Amino acid sequence: MARYGMVIDETKCVGCHACRVACQNQNHLLEKEAYNHLEEREYGTFPNYAREFLPVQCQHCDNPPCVKVCPTGASYKRKDGVVLVDKDKCIGCKYCIAACPYNVRIIKKEGYIEKCRFCIEFVEQGGKPACMTTCMTGVRMFGDLDDPNSEISKFIIKNKLKQFKAELNTKPRIYYKKA
Amino acid sequence: MSLDDLKLTRRRFLKVTGATLGALSLSHELLDFKHWVRANAEAPVTRIPTFCNGCGNRCGIFAYVKNGRLWKIEGNPEANGNLGVICPKGHGYLHDLYNPSRLRGPLKRTGDRFEPISWEQAYKEIAQKINLILMDSGPQSIFWVNYPQSNNPYALRLMHSLGSPHYFTHGSTCYTARNAGWVTTVGDLPSNDLSNSQYIVIIGRNPAGGIDLAEVKKIVEAKEKGAKLVVVDPRHSETAILADEWLPIKPGTDLAFLLGMINIMIKEELYDRQFVKEKAVGFEQLDDEIVNYPPEWAERVCEIPAKTIVRITREMARVKPRALLHRGYHAAFGSQYLNSFQTARALAIVNSLLGNINREGGIYFPKSAQLGELQPKHPAPELPKIGKSDGTGVPGRYPLGSYGDGIAHAIPELALRGELKAGFVYHNNPLRTNPNPKRVIAGYKKLDLLVVVDTVLSETASIAHYVLPESFYLERDEAVDTKHSGKRAQVSIQQKVVNPMFDTRPGTQIIIELGKHLGVEKYFNFDIDEGNRLRLKPFGITLEELKQKGVLFVGEKWKEGFNKLETPSGKVEIHSSTLEKLGFPPIPRWEDPLVSPDSKNPSSFRLLHGKQAIHTHSMTANQPYLMAISRRYDLIRLWMNKERGRRLGLKDGDWVQVKSIVGEGRIRVKLTEGLHPSCVWLPSGYGIFSKHLKTAFDVGLSYNDFLPTLFDPTVGHAMSSEIIVQVRKTSELRS
Ligand code: SF4
Ligand code: SF4
Ligand code: SF4
Repeated sequence: MARYGMVIDETKCVGCHACRVACQNQNHLLEKEAYNHLEEREYGTFPNYAREFLPVQCQHCDNPPCVKVCPTGASYKRKDGVVLVDKDKCIGCKYCIAACPYNVRIIKKEGYIEKCRFCIEFVEQGGKPACMTTCMTGVRMFGDLDDPNSEISKFIIKNKLKQFKAELNTKPRIYYKKA
Repeated sequence: MSLDDLKLTRRRFLKVTGATLGALSLSHELLDFKHWVRANAEAPVTRIPTFCNGCGNRCGIFAYVKNGRLWKIEGNPEANGNLGVICPKGHGYLHDLYNPSRLRGPLKRTGDRFEPISWEQAYKEIAQKINLILMDSGPQSIFWVNYPQSNNPYALRLMHSLGSPHYFTHGSTCYTARNAGWVTTVGDLPSNDLSNSQYIVIIGRNPAGGIDLAEVKKIVEAKEKGAKLVVVDPRHSETAILADEWLPIKPGTDLAFLLGMINIMIKEELYDRQFVKEKAVGFEQLDDEIVNYPPEWAERVCEIPAKTIVRITREMARVKPRALLHRGYHAAFGSQYLNSFQTARALAIVNSLLGNINREGGIYFPKSAQLGELQPKHPAPELPKIGKSDGTGVPGRYPLGSYGDGIAHAIPELALRGELKAGFVYHNNPLRTNPNPKRVIAGYKKLDLLVVVDTVLSETASIAHYVLPESFYLERDEAVDTKHSGKRAQVSIQQKVVNPMFDTRPGTQIIIELGKHLGVEKYFNFDIDEGNRLRLKPFGITLEELKQKGVLFVGEKWKEGFNKLETPSGKVEIHSSTLEKLGFPPIPRWEDPLVSPDSKNPSSFRLLHGKQAIHTHSMTANQPYLMAISRRYDLIRLWMNKERGRRLGLKDGDWVQVKSIVGEGRIRVKLTEGLHPSCVWLPSGYGIFSKHLKTAFDVGLSYNDFLPTLFDPTVGHAMSSEIIVQVRKTSELRS
């Protein structure tokens, strides 16, 4: 079985937010609800200056702190690597929000907690994550991390990519390419 | 699900809503997002190709409909303009289909209020008024102004059939200096072969912010193949994020940078000698004059180190002809500075010296489809006997101005002088997008008749005598388009995805119906479909085929090679005898900007503006999904260099007062190291003052509030960066 993962090439992100709105539409979110966000960083002083945007969303950790703290089992890890929230089990206690080191979980207007779902229903029908397909610079790659011959696996190995905040031992399934 | 099924939904819907402005009934399920989400988890989905209207790019999209409601859009990978990807505006603007601010039927002004009116009655009354104006003031007193749409030829036909030359686009506030510079030099406006280039220099243009999706995709592709990208811009633009080098040039001095490049190309014989000898005229004159502009001089003017100018010029020459200077768009020489026209000329000349004209990886003349005409089946009206009163193309006035575009920001002046009496404004909002709004309002209010075709009560619609509501782009079939030229031409179509929710009509239909009521029906005996079939006739494509695919390639592929140019000499005009005859410098010469900030005054700045990826002109600020981004990321701020801010006692996020000779406003600052110290930069798209646009009303400022009404002497463009503002700290949020 495929075990999904993603690459985010932060050197290419121009901060346009298309991925945010594409995701909102794909997942029927309201205007203030977003599954992904950007962190902006600036370096240097004029005229030797640079800035970059870091796209962040649920990292679908293999050692997910959100799942561990969830008192009802609403947050869970699937065999295909995806971390999901079962909204019928979620009591809105927000423990998971506090536990997640990536600040990617949101409170839906209806009261339950949600976050990036890797567009999994759409992916199972042969689609690709909406944040990935809309991006004009091609920041994201998506695929099977268990298959050493997948494009994404080869890319991770070739570029020796690391995860975001890997030191926390959350074992994220998203790998970042840095400048 | 088919469109037939959708009709049911529509019928049910029309019963529920009153078609008037006041009766905002949100009870219907189509407007109730949450209800729809719950009801639709498993609903079947239809996918319809059409194109986006979130900005002028008109990208090819697939629209997905679930249970009669629009769900989402995806990019059409075939479309030249966007190659399968979509920007944030495209995803956000689609929600305006269900925005409660939308117009629900035609409106008529009575005093300072609007009242609903039927289409028939509105057309009748408009026709009566136009007839009176025609009798009293003649056909030339009537105008039409629009932002480019695929149905523009029909609007032009309408003006011509009435006998008026006055058809305008927004060009004079956008790109007319760039176009004129290129046309004078190589005879046409070319494109950039970015994906095959090995060295790309972009001056002012910011395709990653003022979005051009295909260009950005191609730049990334070129970079992956090893190309170098240099961005010359006073601001660290979104495109600069992708660049190998950012050169923060002093605003208004791009011409000096280019003259320095030319100097070194000639001095070191870095140019393509054979190309220049065979394909260009006037190299000798350039050779004579360019000694005045060594890179050391350029450094003093534009603040880019001489050694950087020399190095970049050499690097480009090494890979020529696969090296290019981007042809530009709005900034920095579309309509910004007194020297913009000469800057565009100089830029075209540097490209020519690289020998890259119509070459792979250089500047090329894209293939675009020549659509079929309505005539002879539907004879064309005669061309008007009177010329445009804005002076475009007239020696002594704006001889190089584009007659086709006209000078739209001259309309208020012409109205105040009594030369224009009646106007139609379509898909355009001059009250917000033209400089000097007080003057624009005075001018447009002076008109005896103002008819606005829009989907919402924009600033301009708010002062109209009649407002004709256009169906939202996802609700209407439109004229076949040739929008996306490229290595191979394309025809494309915008078609109905969902049925209209309100009493609105497609733009093309409105133009045809106006023609029928205004007594020129003999020129308007066709409908949208017939017009489209005639447009497609030369290509042997049926309308049905096009509707199935959304875009289709037509004609031959572009081939590299130099053909005779559309210039008087048929060659690249380094020296232009046309310019000489008109009394303009025939060779680009340095020209100072019209105004400059006072370097001794810590409050004095040049005001620059530019786009953010999330907003288009004045059209998207009212879109809650897009405005939510502006707020969440604190993007509604004035950029200022950190050190300049410190000297004014400012901290990041402080409120400042901005003042120019025509306007005043308050806004918060963003202090950054990514901006040239001599300017402040204001994102465009904000400063909405139509009370009917609730999400956007009174949020942020527009650069137009600070600009006087200016006309450059060559093409009559707005010179929209020739303005100095005084910026001071202010403690109050609002006075
Ligand atoms: S769409 Fe791509 S470039 Fe735009 S913000 Fe998202 S990741 Fe960055
Ligand atoms: S993978 Fe899907 S759900 Fe996750 S951020 Fe991207 S679009 Fe949203
Ligand atoms: S650039 Fe964006 S808003 Fe403009 S047409 Fe394309 S998708 Fe739509």
